[in-house]
Amino acid sequence: MTEPSLLVAAIGRIFEDHYTSDRLQDAKRGAWSEPLWRTLEETGMTLLSVPEEHGGGGDFAEGIEALRLAGKYCAAVPFAETALLGAWALARSGMSIPSGPLAFAVAPQAGAVEVSQAGARWRVSGTLRDVAWARMASALVLVAPHAAGAAVLCIPRDRYEITAGENLAHEARDEVRVSAELDASSARAGNDVTVERAWQRGALTRAVLMCGALDRLLELTVSYTRQRSQFGRTLIQFQAVQQELARLAGEAAIAKAAALTAAAHIDDASAGLYVAAAKVKAGEAAYSGAGIAHQLHGAIGVTDEYVLHHSTLRLWSWRAEYGAEAHWSQKLGAQAVEAGASALWKRITEA
Amino acid sequence: MLFTSTDFVSLKLPPGIDTLRRELRAFLDEQRAAGRFHPHVGHGEFDPQFSEALGARGWIGMTWPRQYGGHERSYLERFVVTEELLAAAAPVAAHWFADRQTGPSLLRWGTEAQRLKFLPAIAAGRCYFAIGMSEPNSGSDLASVRTRATQTDGGWVLNGQKVWTSWAHKAHAMFVLCRTSPLGEKKHEGLSQLIVDLKSPGVKTRPIRFLNGDHHFNEVFFDDVFVPDDMVLGTIGQGWRQVTSELALERSGPERYMNTLPLYFAVIDALKSSADRMAAQLIGTLLARFVSIRTMSLAIANEFGREEVPDLATEAALVKDIGTHFEREITEAARALIACTPRLEGGTDIERYLAEATIFSPIGTIRGGTTQVLRSIVAKRLGAQQ
Repeated sequence: MTEPSLLVAAIGRIFEDHYTSDRLQDAKRGAWSEPLWRTLEETGMTLLSVPEEHGGGGDFAEGIEALRLAGKYCAAVPFAETALLGAWALARSGMSIPSGPLAFAVAPQAGAVEVSQAGARWRVSGTLRDVAWARMASALVLVAPHAAGAAVLCIPRDRYEITAGENLAHEARDEVRVSAELDASSARAGNDVTVERAWQRGALTRAVLMCGALDRLLELTVSYTRQRSQFGRTLIQFQAVQQELARLAGEAAIAKAAALTAAAHIDDASAGLYVAAAKVKAGEAAYSGAGIAHQLHGAIGVTDEYVLHHSTLRLWSWRAEYGAEAHWSQKLGAQAVEAGASALWKRITEA
Repeated sequence: MLFTSTDFVSLKLPPGIDTLRRELRAFLDEQRAAGRFHPHVGHGEFDPQFSEALGARGWIGMTWPRQYGGHERSYLERFVVTEELLAAAAPVAAHWFADRQTGPSLLRWGTEAQRLKFLPAIAAGRCYFAIGMSEPNSGSDLASVRTRATQTDGGWVLNGQKVWTSWAHKAHAMFVLCRTSPLGEKKHEGLSQLIVDLKSPGVKTRPIRFLNGDHHFNEVFFDDVFVPDDMVLGTIGQGWRQVTSELALERSGPERYMNTLPLYFAVIDALKSSADRMAAQLIGTLLARFVSIRTMSLAIANEFGREEVPDLATEAALVKDIGTHFEREITEAARALIACTPRLEGGTDIERYLAEATIFSPIGTIRGGTTQVLRSIVAKRLGAQQ
């Protein structure tokens, strides 16, 4: 993937076309971008990276790059949940993928659910919090603990109730209450989808989205500092400004390196190490990157009118989703200390 | 805007790399057990015997062609050797610059005779180079060097002074960046590189002692030193292009972020029974940073193996900036996590590493390009004019 594929270039243009102030303002009022979703569906992009036998197309690397662009252009659609999470869990479990946008949740992290099975009949009940795009989805894909490892359940929209909620960026993050019976076509257990892997995938999608948002912060900030003049010079001519721009570029670059590496290892034994590193780095970059971007924009950056905050609000929100830095760093650190330095060095170098 | 075409997704270490790692670890264990070296954090120890042992095993000049004593291995294999040596805090200073800078420069710009004269000896771990760049009034502003060479019968006469030259008192030869035509409007022009035998008449070195008294840096004086024509590196007048061409390799390697890792490892082992939640978070945060920096460094090393090597000098500047600050973050974390007093002698390993890392801490962000210069390079790429 040294050059973006035609497919990725096409999807990037679609996201960019829908990156307009009207759409961004709509999204702030809790709407999702239905026109964008329809365009993605018509062009077959919503199942990017899903195996062909399950109706998808494109490879995983293209799916990741498309997701990064979705993050860059604040796409108010469940692209991650559908293409990279829900459809992944269903396809890996040998289940069919329903049409329409999907929501995705992992228990117990998102809330306590009870899953029971009697022959071909399944029962699921419980309450989940902060489920992305639950109210817009045609179905919720839930990965939950089960005696055989984990169960993957596909719960149609008419079988769960929601209370609308949102994250800081006003993206739908709903409370979901479910108490439903499902037949064997909508539930499976004992495949290679585990709670841990589902959680890691979720974190990967947030790290990749954040890389896209950081790229946008850098573009906006470079462009603003080249236009804006004070004391008779453009801002970018001030060395103090240049040094901060370089730090911002550095944060965006290291977050990207970490996230793309995590994507490369998502199905192997080192996924735990690289996903944790990617989510921690993305979170740190969100903190310092958003700080620098706002500082260099001055007061205009904090207005409702200017576009910067659409990206920074998303960064701050995604930072907390699927485990913030504290979650992942503690996990990494506890494992490192438990294993000892020599085993840690082996773990890093054999990854 | 950086790493736009760098391959992270399909980057994998080549098959057989685990064997190489095992050989290295066995060698390092054996050397340590025999008391052949003691790990130190800092500038690295100058140990010709150790360098020769590495050379004998084929771990110097790894990527160079066989006809020059190299081993035609990949940049990723070289990366593995570098990081294992640094993780073990092995004494690699003697051959370091020759392996990292002199060799690649000779391969790219040197004559056949120069390559045959130096490369096999470097790869064997027996020939050491110093790099003469900075001068009393030319630090970050390297292009303003005043050391000058004037043409004479059969060669050049060199006059001037270099400073901060690591290990010049022990090296055999030195690359000297000097002016071969007068300083004009464009200061990047008129610079050349000469290969100077440090035993030549007229060369004098004097120690610049480090703040703890160690002799590592030198001043090197050239007083009418004759340098024959066949010791001109590359083309007269192209010195600036030549020295900047190797910067990506020089600034992105593990030596820019691994120097204090032995301290991190020692802290992890000391915490074993007493890591609370916050301690685990701090250890994990540093691990996340380390893994991410390593990923960038590895990706750059991987790009060196391509037919057409992309220009990654800006990305390398970034690795050095982030990496050298990371080295300090380890030192600071050690203080937060372990109650101990830094002690150069007579203490525990942690106390010694902490002392060495503390003393060493100011230099990483200065040598090889200061933080401020590196950030200017990145800003320039973003469209800033300086």
